[in-house]
Amino acid sequence: MNEKIGVYVCECGPNISDRIEIDRVIEKISSVEGVKVVKKFGLLCSNDGKKYLADEIKKEELTHLVVAACSPREHEQTFMNVCLEAGLNPYLFQLINIREQCAWMISDKEEATRMAIKYILAGISRVTLHRPLLKKELDIISDVLVIGGGISGIEASLSLAGKNRKVYLVEKKESIGGMVKNFSALLPYQGSNLAVIEEKIKQVQNNENIEVLTSSEVEDVLGFLGNFEAVIKSNGDGSVKKEIKIGAVVVATGFSLFNLKDTPQYGYGKIENVLDALEFEKMSASGKILLKNGKPPKSVALIHCVGREEKGYCSKVCCLYSIKFALHLQDKLPVVDVTEFYSDLCLPEKADQDYFEEAKKKGIRFIRADEFEVKDKAGKISVEYKVAGGKKDSIAVDMAILAPAIVPSEDTSKLAEILNLPLDETGFFKEVHEMLDPISTPIEGVYVAGCALGPKNIPESIIQSQAASGKILSSLIPGKKIEPEVKVSEIKEEFCTGCQMCLSVCFYGAISFDEHKGISVVNEAICRGCGSCVGSCPSGAIRSKHFTYPQLYREVLQALR
Amino acid sequence: MKKPNVLVIGAGLAGMEASLILAEAGRKVYLVEKESLIGGQTIKFEEVYPNMECATCMVAPKQQEILQNENIDLLLLSKVEQVKGSVGEFKVKIKKKARYVSLAKCIGCGACYEPCPISLENEFEEGLSKKKAIAVPCPGALPNVPAIDPESCLRLNGKKKECQACKEACMFDAVDFSEKEEILDLEVGAILIATGFDMFDVKKLPQYSYGKANNVYTAMEFERLYAANGPTEGKLVLRDGGIPKSIGIIHCVGRAEQGYCSGVCCMYSTKFSHFLKHKIPEAKVCEFHSDLCIPGKSHQKFYQKTLNQGIDFIRCEDIKVEDKNGKLQVNYKNHNGGKDIFKADMIILSPAMTARRDTESLAEILGISQDKKGFFSTQSEKLSPVSTAVDGIFIAGCAEGPKDIPNSIAQAEAAAGKILSILS
Repeated sequence: MNEKIGVYVCECGPNISDRIEIDRVIEKISSVEGVKVVKKFGLLCSNDGKKYLADEIKKEELTHLVVAACSPREHEQTFMNVCLEAGLNPYLFQLINIREQCAWMISDKEEATRMAIKYILAGISRVTLHRPLLKKELDIISDVLVIGGGISGIEASLSLAGKNRKVYLVEKKESIGGMVKNFSALLPYQGSNLAVIEEKIKQVQNNENIEVLTSSEVEDVLGFLGNFEAVIKSNGDGSVKKEIKIGAVVVATGFSLFNLKDTPQYGYGKIENVLDALEFEKMSASGKILLKNGKPPKSVALIHCVGREEKGYCSKVCCLYSIKFALHLQDKLPVVDVTEFYSDLCLPEKADQDYFEEAKKKGIRFIRADEFEVKDKAGKISVEYKVAGGKKDSIAVDMAILAPAIVPSEDTSKLAEILNLPLDETGFFKEVHEMLDPISTPIEGVYVAGCALGPKNIPESIIQSQAASGKILSSLIPGKKIEPEVKVSEIKEEFCTGCQMCLSVCFYGAISFDEHKGISVVNEAICRGCGSCVGSCPSGAIRSKHFTYPQLYREVLQALR
Repeated sequence: MKKPNVLVIGAGLAGMEASLILAEAGRKVYLVEKESLIGGQTIKFEEVYPNMECATCMVAPKQQEILQNENIDLLLLSKVEQVKGSVGEFKVKIKKKARYVSLAKCIGCGACYEPCPISLENEFEEGLSKKKAIAVPCPGALPNVPAIDPESCLRLNGKKKECQACKEACMFDAVDFSEKEEILDLEVGAILIATGFDMFDVKKLPQYSYGKANNVYTAMEFERLYAANGPTEGKLVLRDGGIPKSIGIIHCVGRAEQGYCSGVCCMYSTKFSHFLKHKIPEAKVCEFHSDLCIPGKSHQKFYQKTLNQGIDFIRCEDIKVEDKNGKLQVNYKNHNGGKDIFKADMIILSPAMTARRDTESLAEILGISQDKKGFFSTQSEKLSPVSTAVDGIFIAGCAEGPKDIPNSIAQAEAAAGKILSILS
C-alpha cells in the first residue's frame, strides 16, 4: 500500500481535549498501516487551523486526509474546501465525529477515548477505499415551459420572460385567461376592475419573449434541470407537433369545480335557476342577471361549502366570493334580498372581514346551517336547512347560487404521469415539503404554482407563480453552468438483470430503462444520491459512488473489532 | 449602475429563504437581524402543524446554510437606522450593537454562563425563565454564541467594573468587553422587508384574566412550555407546580379589536390540543371558537383527527375567564344562546397576529406606509402582493400580513424573484 494518510485530531478547546486522552489516541493511530502522520491541533476550523492542514497536505504529500473533530454537518464542507485548495481531491477525505458522537456523550474519559479510537480506526479503513470523485459542470438552457395560461401561468410567464430567457406558454383552450377571465369583478368591489387582468393578458400577447401556444397540450417531457425536451401537440387532434428545448417547467394548470351531481340534494341540474359560482360569474359578466323566465331575481340564496364534506377540505375562496356575489347583486339589481348559508366563515386575509362587515351592514343575511335540501316549490326555489341547535327552517328564493369545492383540473393525473410528478390524496400536485418547499416537485426544475397545488385565491396564485420564477431565475442563469450532485448512484451493466426495481423506488425519476440493452441506467444529472435504488437492487448491480458496500463493510467491521 | 447587492431585514423564515435564493444567484446579501440569533418565531415552536414536524429540526438546515453561505453577510443585533437613495442605489445605515463575544473565536461551549453572577428575565422564553447576563436565548440557538446584555452586566453597567467571571472561564479568549457599537454604511440595489409579526397584547382584554390568574397562558408562552429546549424542558408544569387535567383553549383573542382573522390560530390551537391529549391522555381539552378557519388541503383532516381524539370543539361567543379561588372557569354563550361554563386548570389564549410594534418607525425610515391593519402596505394587495409603493423595496412574510409558513416561504421566493429581475 502506498497510501500516505494524514490523521489530525482537533482539540476543539476543552470540548474534546478535556474528555478524550488525545495523546493516547495519537499513539494508537500512529501504528496503523498506511498512516503517515498523526497530529493534534487546537482548533482546526479556525483560519490558522485550515492553513495548517493545507500546509500539512502539501508538506507530507498526503494521499488521504482524516480529521477527527466535530460533526460533518458543521465542518465537512470546510475541510473539503481545504483539500481542494491544497490540491487533494476533496472526496479522499473523511471527517470523524468525536465531539457530538463521543466527547459530548460519554462522561467516562476511558470509555470516550476507547470509542474515539474505534471511530477513527473505522474511518481510516473506509477512506482508503474512497474514489477521487470529480465535480461535473453542465451547460443549461435558460428558456422555460409554462403549462397553463390562467392567471398563474400568465404571471409566471411575465416574471420569467426576458432577453435571454424565452417562455413557451402552452394553453389547451383557444385563448389564455383561465378561470379569472370569466369573472365579473374582483374585490375590493369597485364595479368591474377586471381591466387589470385584461391588461396582463395583453402584456403576455405583446411580449416578444413569450410564445403563446393555444389549443395546445404537452405530450411528453424528458430530461432534467437545465436540459429538458418537450413535445407540444396543437390543434386538438394533435396534428401539429413542436419540439422545444427548455431548462425548467412551471405547471399552472389550475382547477375545476366539484361535480355537483355528487350532491343531488342541492338540486343542481334538476331545478331551474340553481347555478354554480362559475355560471353566476359568466352571467354577471354578460351584464344581465336574469332567471330562466327573463326576469331579474328578487331573492337569492348563496350556499357555501358545497362538497366540503365530500372532499374533506375547505376551499378557502368561496366565503369571500359569495360575499362578492352578494354585494354585486345588490349593486346591479334594484330590489334583491340576499341570504348567505355557511358552515364556518373562512375569511383569513387582512381585508376579508371588512367585506363581511360591509355585507352585513347592507342587510345581507348570514345563516349558519347544514343538511340542505333544495326543492322546487310552486315555481320558487325552497332552500330547507337545519341551524345549529337542531331547528329546521326554509326560505323561498328565486335563485340559488352554489359554491362548489375547488378540485384538481381534469388533466392533472394525465400531466402528472407525463412529468412523473406525485399527486397527494386530494388529487392535487404534491409539493416537496408542505412547509419549507411549497412549490417544488421532486423533479428538479419542475415547479407547480396556483390552484394546481390546491385551492387558493388570486394573490396567493400570483405569489406562487412569482416564487416559481424566483427559484428559476436563481438556479438557471444564462451562461452559468450547473453542478449536479457528485455522490450519485451507478449501475454495473453486467450485473443488471433489467428487473426495474430501482426505477420503481426512485423518487426523483433519475433512472430510465434502456430497452435496447435491457438494463436500467442512472442519469447522474438528476440523481440526488439518496441510495434508495442501491437497497432495492436484488442483484447488487447498483452502488453509491461514495457509499459502496466495501466502504461500509470495512468501516463497520473495523468498528466492531 | 445598479448595485447587485440586496438588504434583507429580518432573519426569520421569510428572510432566510429570500437570502438563500438571492445568494444562490450570486448576489451578496446583507441579512440584518435585531436579535442575537436567527430563525425568527418558528424556532420557538416545538412542532408545526399539520404533520407535527419538529420545528427546530425543520429550520436547522436553513439556519446552517445561512451561517455558512459565503454570499450572505449576517449582521446580528443590528437595525436599519436610515435609508436614502432609490432602486439600484440605496444607501443604508445600519446600527450594530456590540455582542461583546467574538463570533469567530467562540465555539459555543457555554463555559461562561455558570460563573456569571447576574440573572435577568429571558424574553425569548416569554418571561417563563431567567437567563444570565451572558447567554444564548435558548439551547440550540444559532449562531451558538452568547451575547452580553450591557444593562445587566455588572462590568458594562459600571456596578462592578472589575467583574470578568465570563472572560476568565473562556478558553478561547472570545469575550471582549471593549467591543463597541458600530454604524455600517451599505450600498444596495434592493431592500426586502421580512420583519415578521408580534402577537396581540392580551392584557388589553381583562375578561380573560391574563396576568391576574396564574394559569392563563398566551399561545407563545405555551409554545415555550412545551418546547423540549424550553424553560421546563417540555414538561407541562403549571406556574403553581401542578399538572393540568382540564385545559381550555380560547380562539379569536383580539380578533374583533384588530378587525381581521389571523388565519393560523385555529390550526395551531388544534396543534396544542393534539399535543396535550398525547402528553396527558386523561386530560379534558376544550377549544372555544367562533368560526373554524382551516383552509388548506390537509388542514381539515388534521382537525378531524384531533376531534376523534376526544377534544371538544365548542362554537360560542361572549367568552370570559374567571378566577374562582385558584381554579379557572370559562363562562360562555353557546350556539343556542344559552349560558354555560367550563372548569379548567389551565387556559391558553390564541391571540391575533399583529404587525410588529416597531412597524411605524421602520415604515418611516423606508418611506413606505402602513395599511389600515398596521402592517406594511403593498402596492396592490391583489396583484402585487410583494411590492411596496417604493420601487426596489419589497416585502415578504408576516410583515405583510398574518400567514402560515408555506405562504411566507412562497412570498419570500417571489420577492427574491422580483429582486433578481429588477437587478439583472
